[in-house]
Amino acid sequence: MEHRAPAFPARGRRRARVFIPALLGGALLVGLGLAPAGAQRSYVIAFANLTEEPGVTVEGTGFTGREIRESFVLAARAHPIEMVFYDNQRDDARALQNADAAIARRVDLYIEYHRGTANAAIGEKLKAAGIRVLALNYPVPGAPLYTVDNLAAGRVAGEALAQFALRSWRGQPTAAAVIGNLSATADRVPERSQGVTEALRQRLPAVPVSDVDTRGNPAQVGPLLGKFVAAHPSDKLLIAATDDATALAAKAAVESAGRVQDTAIVSHGMDRSIHGGMNDRKEIDPANRGSIVIGSVAFYLDRLGYEVLPLAMRMLRGESFPSRVTTRHILVTAANVFVEYPPSDMN
Amino acid sequence: MMPRAILAVAVALMVLAFGTSSFAQTDCKKLVPASPWGPNDQTGATNRVTPAVTKAAAAEIKEGKVIPMSYPLTDGVPLFGSRFTKTILTAGSLAPGASFGENELTYMEDTWLSQSHVGTHLDGMGHIGRKDCYYNQTPIGKFITQNNITKLGLEHLKSFATRGVVVDMVKVFQQANKFKGNPACKKPCLEKGTVITAADIQAGLKMYNTTLREGDIVVVHTGWGDLFEQYPAQNALFNSGEPGIGKDAATWLISQKVVAVGADQWAVEVIPGENPKEAFIVHNMLLTDNGIHIIENVRTDLIAAEAAATGRATFFFNMTVPRAVGMTGNFVAIDGIR
Repeated sequence: MEHRAPAFPARGRRRARVFIPALLGGALLVGLGLAPAGAQRSYVIAFANLTEEPGVTVEGTGFTGREIRESFVLAARAHPIEMVFYDNQRDDARALQNADAAIARRVDLYIEYHRGTANAAIGEKLKAAGIRVLALNYPVPGAPLYTVDNLAAGRVAGEALAQFALRSWRGQPTAAAVIGNLSATADRVPERSQGVTEALRQRLPAVPVSDVDTRGNPAQVGPLLGKFVAAHPSDKLLIAATDDATALAAKAAVESAGRVQDTAIVSHGMDRSIHGGMNDRKEIDPANRGSIVIGSVAFYLDRLGYEVLPLAMRMLRGESFPSRVTTRHILVTAANVFVEYPPSDMN
Repeated sequence: MMPRAILAVAVALMVLAFGTSSFAQTDCKKLVPASPWGPNDQTGATNRVTPAVTKAAAAEIKEGKVIPMSYPLTDGVPLFGSRFTKTILTAGSLAPGASFGENELTYMEDTWLSQSHVGTHLDGMGHIGRKDCYYNQTPIGKFITQNNITKLGLEHLKSFATRGVVVDMVKVFQQANKFKGNPACKKPCLEKGTVITAADIQAGLKMYNTTLREGDIVVVHTGWGDLFEQYPAQNALFNSGEPGIGKDAATWLISQKVVAVGADQWAVEVIPGENPKEAFIVHNMLLTDNGIHIIENVRTDLIAAEAAATGRATFFFNMTVPRAVGMTGNFVAIDGIR
């Protein structure tokens, strides 16, 4: 069917004289990306998650893949985005299948969160299909990367412990330990440990730092830390736990040993096990400012969607940004927990 | 020399005394806008309910049909955070020999231990602030006692006898093919976290060929109140979040000069919010910045059904708020009269 330009009747010509420039102006605004919000182009963005297996935690923290997915669902509300979700199930073959499905679905952008050998092939496939890729936590060749920064997070924790010791125990004999699943190289926990150790050695060069590897077994926190505590009967103790569950177990171990007055603990993650809502009365809570768990270095994995989708939108708009963007890890304490995590669940 | 020294000390003390107070004022002027009804205003948006507004609203009463718009106030309903209610019946005169006189009069009374923001309730001007700055740039720290607030209390409110307008967001989202519900709701409800925008509100008004006018009270039907009605079974889900208006819708409603915004959930605004680092931002926008009341846990299903059945979304909003001196809010009963 032939498409004809609208004809303006004689008495409508004056209106046409106004309408045509307005139309042209509107087209120009759209071209410049200045169209009103209602006229924004919508995009289809795929997110292939590392795993959505119930209860399985990721990145050596207490966060689950489901929490990460939920953060994308919530963050997408602010953008003209239709999200398509895939579960890579921590499996190369599945990750490749997901990329194929996204290509068939003709998505505009693919966010790949996968740790495996398939990432290069996935990047090639998507590039050949003309689909832009944003890598999450693990690189995809040629794609910008958003990642947590374990080394930086560890330094924040080490710095917090050092500052506490300098403020509270200056001149007193002190020993430090990094405790957690320290051999979890896949989750880059050793980088976290390295950051803690570097910061402590820089600020407190005389303080010995011990590694206490639980090998991922929370039941080992008590016995292993008990030995460390017993080995330092008259020292002040600085404990860096590599995740929140370990921090809580470490606190229990210190209480059992009767060494609460001698101990300060800093954790990593800031998941729901250590902070909570209005009435949760968790460890890091404005009503619990005296806790020996000074704070936890936030990883914001439950906010990942809020961090990543704005980058995805910038990519889709053709804007540039650094090829590697990292999480801004900060120490969350009883003093700022309700700023960083305002309670919204009112149970 | 001595008088000059005394003068200097006196001036210094005056600077300290007045300076402290002016610092607080200055801070609140930076944080909260001034009321359009003047520096002494403690009333807020019920200033808009003039006799003309009430008279015009009365025209909504055509059949005398009364539609309940509040939930039963009883122990066990979902409550926000640490709030509680507990009723205790005093029925001593029913004991043998305890009745009065030959007519054997007996009586019963209640003790009601409750916080004020429970059930279907109104948020007053003293409820929400930024830091210690509340509605109309009030440095509330100067106006609190152990028992209540001495400024911005409910006793300053005017009438709510105005027109109510229900916007049915369930229908809007269904018609726009973007409805996503929650299976725990027995009747259709929007899923928690669903952001209601200005365009959605406008679509809800257009559905019934209605436009807002200054002094209206807007009632948003999300369906989430269905979970309230299932108390206590669904209390945890009800409290865990909710569909609700976002900042865009709040901005538009403010521009329409409404008196209040109500909804069938516990905060009117969407939870989780649009920005995870903002806390109840729509409360700040409506109450703190614009004196517009928030009415929570409004029963909206019946009035929404009435609107759907008749094609008319407007009604006379009948709600009396106790002039509770120095209180920040109170439970209310609402009827929509048609």
